[in-house]
Amino acid sequence: MPPSNPLPPKENALFKRILRCYEHKQYKNGLKFAKQILSNPKFAEHGETLAMKGLTLNCLGRKEEAYDYVRRGLRNDLKSPVCWHVYGLLQRSDKKYDEAIKCYRNALKWEKENIQILRDLSLLQIQMRDLEGYKDTRYQLFMLRPTQRASWIGFAMSYHLLGDYEMANSILDAFRTNQMKGPYDYEHSELLLYQNMVLAESGQYERALQHLQKFQSQILDKLSIKETSGEYYLKLRRFKEAEAVYEDLLKRNPENLSKAEDIEAFFDVYKKEYPKAIAPRRLQLNEAHDPLVFEKLVDQYLRQGLHKGVPPLFVDLRTLYKDQSKADTIEKLILQYIENLKKHDRFSSDTEEDKSPASALLWAYYFAAQHFDHKKDTDRALQYIDAAIEHTPTLIELFIVKGKIYKHAGDPVEAYKLLEEAQAMDTADRYVNSKCARYMLRAGHLKRAEEMCAKFTREGVPATENLNEMQCMWFQTEAAAAYQRLQQWGEALKKAHEVDRHFSEIMEDQFDFHSYCMRKMTLRSYVGLLRLEDVLRSHPFYFRCARVAIQVYLRLYTHPLQDVPQTTEPDTG
Amino acid sequence: MAGVISCDITVAKIELGDVTPHNIKQLKKLNTVVFPVSYNDKFYKDVLEAGELAKLAYYNDIVVGAVCCRIDTTENSRRLYIMTLGCLYPYRRLGIGTLMVEHVLKYVEQDGNFDSIFLHVQVNNEGAIDFYKKFGFEIVETKEHYYKRIEPADAHVLQKTIREPQTTPLVNGSVPHAKTNGLEVD
Repeated sequence: MPPSNPLPPKENALFKRILRCYEHKQYKNGLKFAKQILSNPKFAEHGETLAMKGLTLNCLGRKEEAYDYVRRGLRNDLKSPVCWHVYGLLQRSDKKYDEAIKCYRNALKWEKENIQILRDLSLLQIQMRDLEGYKDTRYQLFMLRPTQRASWIGFAMSYHLLGDYEMANSILDAFRTNQMKGPYDYEHSELLLYQNMVLAESGQYERALQHLQKFQSQILDKLSIKETSGEYYLKLRRFKEAEAVYEDLLKRNPENLSKAEDIEAFFDVYKKEYPKAIAPRRLQLNEAHDPLVFEKLVDQYLRQGLHKGVPPLFVDLRTLYKDQSKADTIEKLILQYIENLKKHDRFSSDTEEDKSPASALLWAYYFAAQHFDHKKDTDRALQYIDAAIEHTPTLIELFIVKGKIYKHAGDPVEAYKLLEEAQAMDTADRYVNSKCARYMLRAGHLKRAEEMCAKFTREGVPATENLNEMQCMWFQTEAAAAYQRLQQWGEALKKAHEVDRHFSEIMEDQFDFHSYCMRKMTLRSYVGLLRLEDVLRSHPFYFRCARVAIQVYLRLYTHPLQDVPQTTEPDTG
Repeated sequence: MAGVISCDITVAKIELGDVTPHNIKQLKKLNTVVFPVSYNDKFYKDVLEAGELAKLAYYNDIVVGAVCCRIDTTENSRRLYIMTLGCLYPYRRLGIGTLMVEHVLKYVEQDGNFDSIFLHVQVNNEGAIDFYKKFGFEIVETKEHYYKRIEPADAHVLQKTIREPQTTPLVNGSVPHAKTNGLEVD
């Protein structure tokens, strides 16, 4: 379709060069050519040239002028798809996606089959989750370019996302049979797994399983084949076959709990074959309901952990505490160990038993302290952690747990001081550093927390700036809450909004993946990403910051600010 | 099966590690509980420069002992002085002290230019005296009132001769002042 105001050949050539300069990011040159056209009085108001000049200016950061030129161009040539497309691009760069979609639609009114505009439109539609619109656009692209791979994939995906699995599957089938010619490479393999995902999501596990078996020689991701087929067998209640698959999987990785969780049947075989694997022993503890059986198993498990000195042993077992009788058994055993270790360096009073390592008593104290902390028995928790510190005052973990006990008992100040001590014992440990900073925030010491973090942030930049840049949200959420407690409303809101911006950014970042994943065929991950973005703001970080912001805004509404509040930190000496 | 497990975990891992600005606080904590005297900031500052002459001992990845030495060139000889060598109480008799002494002996041997190794021990510390005798140390001298604030205040000088002195023997009376050993004396 010709523009309403065609340029003569010489100027038209110049205009084409503006487009090329834009594509190659040679913005300065682009402006030069635009000037050559516009300085001719006959074309001073040429719409498309004005629009392109505006778009180029936008890329140079001159946004206000950009809008002026693009709008002026559009006014001079309302029927030009170029002008509308340019206006859409400008809005898109400003994240005004709704407006951009309208512009693209106007552009398409004047040039229905412009592939570039249709593609840009489809990206915005999926970004905005206009799934119906996306399907229509992908359909048009498919009809216009039926030989292109991306046309098929996008077309199928648009149906998949709308829940029309049958249609999505038939498109993929047709594509596979008509378009895919060897070799069976990674992309082909991913496509098959994607199709399999579509089948499974439609609830047809039988069919999905057959599909997987039929194509398994062409699928390169062997682990996925095993994992998904195991899942299907379980869904289909074909346990014998499931068992075989999971046995295979455990041979690959005897410590992968997620695979083993559903299969209790072969614990003993599993234990025999992998005597050192922790996973089967740990799983058995969940399943043991007979108190005597549980006691025997947990006794072995605890001794092994204390013997070796496994610091997270308590955290590992904590989930068992839901069952009171299991918690009681553990308490009984751990107290016995402490008694026996103190008296004869052994877990039991049996003198035939090998002596335990010198650190076993330490780890038993450490476990007992956490156990009683969990039971909210602060006194006994402190008693055991102090015994541990007396035994081995050089173990950093002890000070962390002691701090935790104080935190749980409601004394954030003593808690942070203990963490500070732990941190000083190994200043190269980032975990302890972060933990310490967090405790400082809980105690309302924002400055100190920042200084603590600064030991690990980039030099020459204020810590808070670097933390924001790194999207360090645990810090920012804690800081927002700390400022709120200190009634420093402005600072609290500042932190809450920083976190909000991170979430917006993560939403924005999604944009690049719409085209990238289609091109790279990483379709399963792509669908996963879309679903994650759909629920992104349900993340606890966002939730906490939103709550702080809401509470602060409500407070400011009911108690409007009178004076500038004083900056104070609590004086804890 | 049981055999596999027990042999795997009963053998404790004992090893030496460097003292760095990051972990020096652990050395301080250790010295505070192991020794009845306290050491000043200069002691710890020098330790950071001491290289192989200052080491932490780890038992299953936990710091349980430490050794700190310096080179002493008084009395016309070049001697290695063990300022501190100690281990947390629950981890004694497990070979940790031996490992540290062996480290020191190896250092001296590789250097090849030391006349002797020496250290001070409180006169009633029989465990320590027996321990060092195993490695060929002998009591060569007893200094009265060596320690300022602990009882008994007398100290034995334990020495292991590496090579016979080439010049005059040790001059009597030139006792290293407690302050030069890093002990707090105020």
